[in-house]
Amino acid sequence: MRIRKRYLFYILALSSACASAASAVVDTVVAHEFIANPWVYGLAFFLVAAPLTLLITLIISIPAGKRSIGARIDPSFRRIRFPRKEELLYQMLSALGNAAFTLGYFLVMSRLMEPSVVLSFSQLSILYLLIVESVAEKNAPTMAEVQASLIVAFGAILGSISLSGELDMEALLIVFLVMNPGTVLFAEYQRKLKRLKMDGRPNDAINIRLWNLVFTTFFVFIIVSAMDVKLVAESITASGTALSWISAGVVVTFFSIVLFVRAMGIGKASITQAVRASSIIFAIPFFIALSYIIPDITFVSDPVLLLIRIMGIVLVVMGVISFALTEVKAYIFIRLEPGYPVTEIQQKIWEIKGITSVSATTGCYDIVAKARMRTLGKGYERIIRELEKIRGIKTFEWQTILKEWEEL
Amino acid sequence: MIKAYILLITYVGNLKAVLEELRKLDHIESISVVAGDYDIIVKARVDALEDLMTLTDNIHAIKGVKRTNTQVIEKEIEV
Repeated sequence: MRIRKRYLFYILALSSACASAASAVVDTVVAHEFIANPWVYGLAFFLVAAPLTLLITLIISIPAGKRSIGARIDPSFRRIRFPRKEELLYQMLSALGNAAFTLGYFLVMSRLMEPSVVLSFSQLSILYLLIVESVAEKNAPTMAEVQASLIVAFGAILGSISLSGELDMEALLIVFLVMNPGTVLFAEYQRKLKRLKMDGRPNDAINIRLWNLVFTTFFVFIIVSAMDVKLVAESITASGTALSWISAGVVVTFFSIVLFVRAMGIGKASITQAVRASSIIFAIPFFIALSYIIPDITFVSDPVLLLIRIMGIVLVVMGVISFALTEVKAYIFIRLEPGYPVTEIQQKIWEIKGITSVSATTGCYDIVAKARMRTLGKGYERIIRELEKIRGIKTFEWQTILKEWEEL
Repeated sequence: MIKAYILLITYVGNLKAVLEELRKLDHIESISVVAGDYDIIVKARVDALEDLMTLTDNIHAIKGVKRTNTQVIEKEIEV
């Protein structure tokens, strides 16, 4: 077994970014070559996506050796299953968010000739997530996180902005009032779903994606058919004509979202979203390749715009690196006083912000906890002060992790 | 499945060599170099207690390891 370096989170989020860049390319091809009406394309996408994702989930449920094939994508995945009762509310809310985002996206696409002028502002959803997290006190962002998120968000806007079109205020409002809140709803509840425990095991991203898609298809179908029933018939024919491209888009999006949800299971939603904003970098080689295959799609050649984009990309890279570098992890070895229930204390420690795992152990320590924080100062403020409040803890030893390798 | 933390103390000057050897072993979930009373913390995942014994034996066989302390996990809460 090879043990590779840490930062599974960054690998997941960056792979997700890469897949989402690829899906953006497929979107461009479909919109350019096959389906001009964004509403029709949107519904056609979901009509293909729901059954195809069901098929993919069925295939990767096939056991290969000890585990199913899907366990290679998400180790928590076993097989396809129905959503549980406790998942339903979260699934509905995140599907609603996804539908709102999608709806806003179509609205912008159908209003503007050059939608990338305003769509780049959807990167600001990172800041929305930061605000949501700071309101939900348990997850207050640190200064380092706010700083790096701002750098990434503004970098992403610069990196994806286009100067050729006009800034449409109404379209911009749609981005700020519909798409970004949609993203927040989607991301926060997908994260909550991922963090649910199913029979004592972590929830898997694959089933979450499948059922989210089913619910979103339902919402999008209702919205589009409410607008014009003719669009539904058009979507069905369109999904037939562009089937192979849409399918490719569905598969790439599947990986992009599954990896994204897995990453959110590890880190905060805002930071996952920020790292994922690096998709604007991955999109560049894809679009250059595309402009060779389909000559109508041209890559920006205006030097000023290119300079602005490069500046944006540098900012995104710097922001992501500063996220990765401002992370401190530690083990805490805890001894308890006799006569206190271990499970209860374990639960109390688990509730402390920044604790990523708590294990009751046999041996010279009773509990081994693992913590993650942005600065060592936060480790004192948030973790040690809280630990000292818990009755029953006799001593604890703090071991800061200097370097770490994890199995991928 | 059994999980355990194995806490290692090494002789001064052997840390890098011990890490190189540890990375070749099976059944290891993570390896952390720490600053504190210990030098390295290994998290292991094995199917049976006997495999854990083999693993600790293998770790003991690494030149430079001074002492190990195995904490078997009874219950784990994790993200």
